[in-house]
Amino acid sequence: MPYALTLTHLYPDHLNLYGDTGNLIVLKRRCQWMGIDCTVQSLTMGDRPTPGHTDLYFMGGGQDNDQVAVVDDFHQLKADAIQADTGAGTVFLGVCGGYQLMGHTFLMGNGEETPGLGIINVRTKAPGTEVKQRCIGNLVVELSSTIHTEMTTMYAAPKPIPRTLVGFENHSGQTYLGEGVTPLAKTITGFGNNATAEYEGARYRNVFGSYMHGSLLPKNPHFADYLIWLALRRKYGDDALTLPALGDREELEAHHYAVQRYGRG
Amino acid sequence: MNQLLLIPIVAFAKLLTWVLKLSGRGSGTALPGYLVGKYFPSALGALVSQIPIIVAITGTNGKTTTQTMLSATLSRVPGVKMLRNKAGANLSQGILSELLKQSNVWGRLDVTHAILEVEEATLPRIAALLQPQIIAVTNLYRDQLDAYGEIDRTEKLIRDGIAQCPQAVVVVNGDDPRTARLTNGLGNRTYFMSLAADYAKFLPYEGALHQRQPQEAGLEASQIRINPDLTTDFAIHGTLAEAVEMPQVRTASPGFFHVYNALMAIAMAKLLGVADDTALTGLQTFKPAFGRGEILTKQVGAKQVHYRLLLVKNPASFSLSLELLKAIPALKLVLAINDNTADGKDVSWLWDSELERLNQAQIDWILCTGIRAKDMAVRLKYALDTPPPEPILTLEPIREALARSFDTAAAGETIFVMPTYTAMLEFRKLMGKTLDIV
Repeated sequence: MPYALTLTHLYPDHLNLYGDTGNLIVLKRRCQWMGIDCTVQSLTMGDRPTPGHTDLYFMGGGQDNDQVAVVDDFHQLKADAIQADTGAGTVFLGVCGGYQLMGHTFLMGNGEETPGLGIINVRTKAPGTEVKQRCIGNLVVELSSTIHTEMTTMYAAPKPIPRTLVGFENHSGQTYLGEGVTPLAKTITGFGNNATAEYEGARYRNVFGSYMHGSLLPKNPHFADYLIWLALRRKYGDDALTLPALGDREELEAHHYAVQRYGRG
Repeated sequence: MNQLLLIPIVAFAKLLTWVLKLSGRGSGTALPGYLVGKYFPSALGALVSQIPIIVAITGTNGKTTTQTMLSATLSRVPGVKMLRNKAGANLSQGILSELLKQSNVWGRLDVTHAILEVEEATLPRIAALLQPQIIAVTNLYRDQLDAYGEIDRTEKLIRDGIAQCPQAVVVVNGDDPRTARLTNGLGNRTYFMSLAADYAKFLPYEGALHQRQPQEAGLEASQIRINPDLTTDFAIHGTLAEAVEMPQVRTASPGFFHVYNALMAIAMAKLLGVADDTALTGLQTFKPAFGRGEILTKQVGAKQVHYRLLLVKNPASFSLSLELLKAIPALKLVLAINDNTADGKDVSWLWDSELERLNQAQIDWILCTGIRAKDMAVRLKYALDTPPPEPILTLEPIREALARSFDTAAAGETIFVMPTYTAMLEFRKLMGKTLDIV
């Protein structure tokens, strides 16, 4: 039986900064190469998601104005379905603003902290004395060992899996993780969640948040596959499900080049 | 400022420029302006107040080309003594450096027109001093986002700049929703430059196309044809102070972008009193600004290979240049991507650029070079439905990419090069060209 996945891109026209669309391009292509039938639906202002219809949500970050514009719509039309779906284990990836909006508070352009969905127990605050400017620059991080260990079981054939993720961050919000949430990775170069904690991103159940642009998934094909794998396993209830091991020569070359050039560790 | 005080300042700047040139530390473009601007901030005002007519050109893409087109036109008008800042030297120190360089030892400028390219965030800082007769805004795309934060802020900065010049006539891109609304609520007379609807819809603006209202005067280009030699033909009609009809216009720059630049240059030339035929001839004789479609030739022995440079600086310019390449048979393409400050350190924008347009091109081979060559190769892998006949090659050093592409090409062939800003400077330098070519 061929597998099928439905990806939902939230606010592609408003939250579309810094190449985050690249994440969808990559998920879609990799599904195609792996023989998974992949459908992408875009939901924007005024659309209401159908609960149980989506296997993987993606939400990126936007400009201040756009982020302000979607907040009410997000609470009124999207929150219920996303809450129900992620509660049932649906995969969700939020980058930058999309990460912040899934937490208890997120940061508006004017520095005001505003309520988010609170699905994941993180808080984003305005920069305080410890960080004066935006966190901008290349980001190299080491994946949580739990996630990395899980990744080693996701392929049908042996394949090298980097321990690192590479990307580029550009945010002023400082995100702090609460109880029950684990960091996605440990920072090697750059800031990540905030200027003090040395961790990047967050995971709660199958909800992932990250500050990595670049885009995130193209140079981190193992993470792209991990999200696809989690989504398939949940959808088909098959814990033994494995993915074909794609070649990934270009992706891994770019990954290792970035680790070497921008990672200080 | 007392004009007498200018004398030692100008002397200092000229001496410094001379020393810099002598010591081989660059062409002396920015440093004299930087130091004078820092320690004698009133010098800028004292210099610009001597220039009768000032034009300020800003916007994300096309500043240099628009400036070059207008200059090519004005330089044909008898009695015009023109000053322009060097391409890319568009911060206040670059402008000041040029003014200092052009002035005589008494601090006097013998200039009738200054045609200045002004960086977006610089406009509100110097607009009150410049008091330009004309402010042109080419477009507002996302550009090097990590340098400024956000495009909304850039729009506001330009608006603030215009607001300081109530006398200025404003010429805007009339299709770009962000530039078309710049003078809303301001008293400035505004002219709108647009393409006929069939063409404008191909352009990736930030938001829905502005629909020109009947009371909004301006020029429209129609019957646009991009020729195989990458010149562009089109017709102009519209209204400025009076009706304008130009059925046959040709520019040496390829693509829709440059049609806007040409419309702006024509509109400004007419506003400055240039006759139609002079304006058209100027436009035809104009040579593309460096990296904006210019052709460089490398020769070894009897073998010549031509390189057509199409600068890419953001998703909009990248996507539109790729659109042009669809028309090229057996395309040979070098993509040169750096991530230095002037290029934007974040290469995420490669994923906002529509490399997928290459699926309709007839690709012979592609070579990726520059610091981020590998990122480019990944982007291509995901964009192309089928890999090109020759595997995509990745060679970080631009010098090696130039050598390899020369060896691969047959004599007389043209290779298209799409470089980011610093990759272009490096490429031109390797070809024996320096920055000071304007």
